Amino acid sequence: MFDHLSSLTFNFEPMLTQHEFLSPLAARRTDQVIVSTMSLVRAWGRLSKHELDFAFADSAMGHAQSLALGIALAQPQRGVICLNGDGSMLMSLGSLVTIAQCRARNLILFVAQNNTYEVTGNQNIPGAGAVDFHEIALACGFPHAFHFNDAREYENSLDKIMQLQGPVFVSVRLEPGAEPPPNRKQTEDTPYLRGSLADSVHRLKEALRNEA
Amino acid sequence: MLTTRRVLETFKQLNISHVVGLPDNSTAALFHELADDPDIYLITVTREGEAFATAAGLWIGGQNPLVLIQNTGLLESGDALRGTLTRMRIPVVVLVSYRGYKSLPTPAPEMLAPDDLSRREVDSVATLLEPTLHAWNLPYELVSDNSELEKIQAAYERAQSEMRPTAVVIAETIR
Repeated sequence: MFDHLSSLTFNFEPMLTQHEFLSPLAARRTDQVIVSTMSLVRAWGRLSKHELDFAFADSAMGHAQSLALGIALAQPQRGVICLNGDGSMLMSLGSLVTIAQCRARNLILFVAQNNTYEVTGNQNIPGAGAVDFHEIALACGFPHAFHFNDAREYENSLDKIMQLQGPVFVSVRLEPGAEPPPNRKQTEDTPYLRGSLADSVHRLKEALRNEA
Repeated sequence: MLTTRRVLETFKQLNISHVVGLPDNSTAALFHELADDPDIYLITVTREGEAFATAAGLWIGGQNPLVLIQNTGLLESGDALRGTLTRMRIPVVVLVSYRGYKSLPTPAPEMLAPDDLSRREVDSVATLLEPTLHAWNLPYELVSDNSELEKIQAAYERAQSEMRPTAVVIAETIR
């Protein structure tokens, strides 16, 4: 009779808006590579037009953090920041072990935890409200992992977090939004979504080569 | 016969910087050697899809990676391959060990019947490997002896010239 209740989320944890999450990060970003995915792609693109921004869109859901790991290992002197979603993170939790094992000191992995598959209409992710991502990251071997649900505390901690020797894991409790799936079209407002995935990859490679 | 020494020599001739993958019985000896190799960085992943995305990132960052997985892992990770190396047009060689190769019937059936995938004496992952490589547009070469290792170089050169991933299927245990 009450079976349906098991699929509902009762979570009264405070939350950040997407702007409260990304804006302090954009203000502090210097020359790091930013790998964004899913609902964070356009949101980040509205705040940044940097040549080292990369949209992991029209690609393979669940693997943005592994691509970011590869860049971080290839360019150990450069910071790499991955803006991942919670649904994407669940698809490849094992990659947390790989990242920790590789000791990518220059990698920060953010997980925007809105507990839903936002781009398909905010269906609950499995374990919505029950999964503690930052505890999982610690258990996988991350030397530093944080969880924030307060905007001020998050912003006040960000400078310190960005100076830590990674890999660093940060989950941020976010309000569910209403972003549609990221597409790659000439008409996109976000410049880094206007080219094909292959063109974007090759442009990023060239930009990294030029900055070396 | 395939030997770790000759396979490693081939990797080094190609200036491979990283091997990303998961071991199986037929590649175990190679993974043991790679773990101690001073020139090639070994990244062992938890699931094969990670290997394609990590290799993509390494290549973007200026490195020269190679992926080394079993055919079961290839089948598991099709979307990761499609959405990274293939769609991104990244020239990486994927070495795939051919579990079940010796169980394959000859000649291979042109059309698979349900029984072809359930017979106890045939490893169905072997049955599906080459049709899958064709379906996923991943050109490949078959290697089962040291004398054929130049095919890895050929696969590497094809990947570079066509800006695409290519595969080499390892049909023998590397000793």
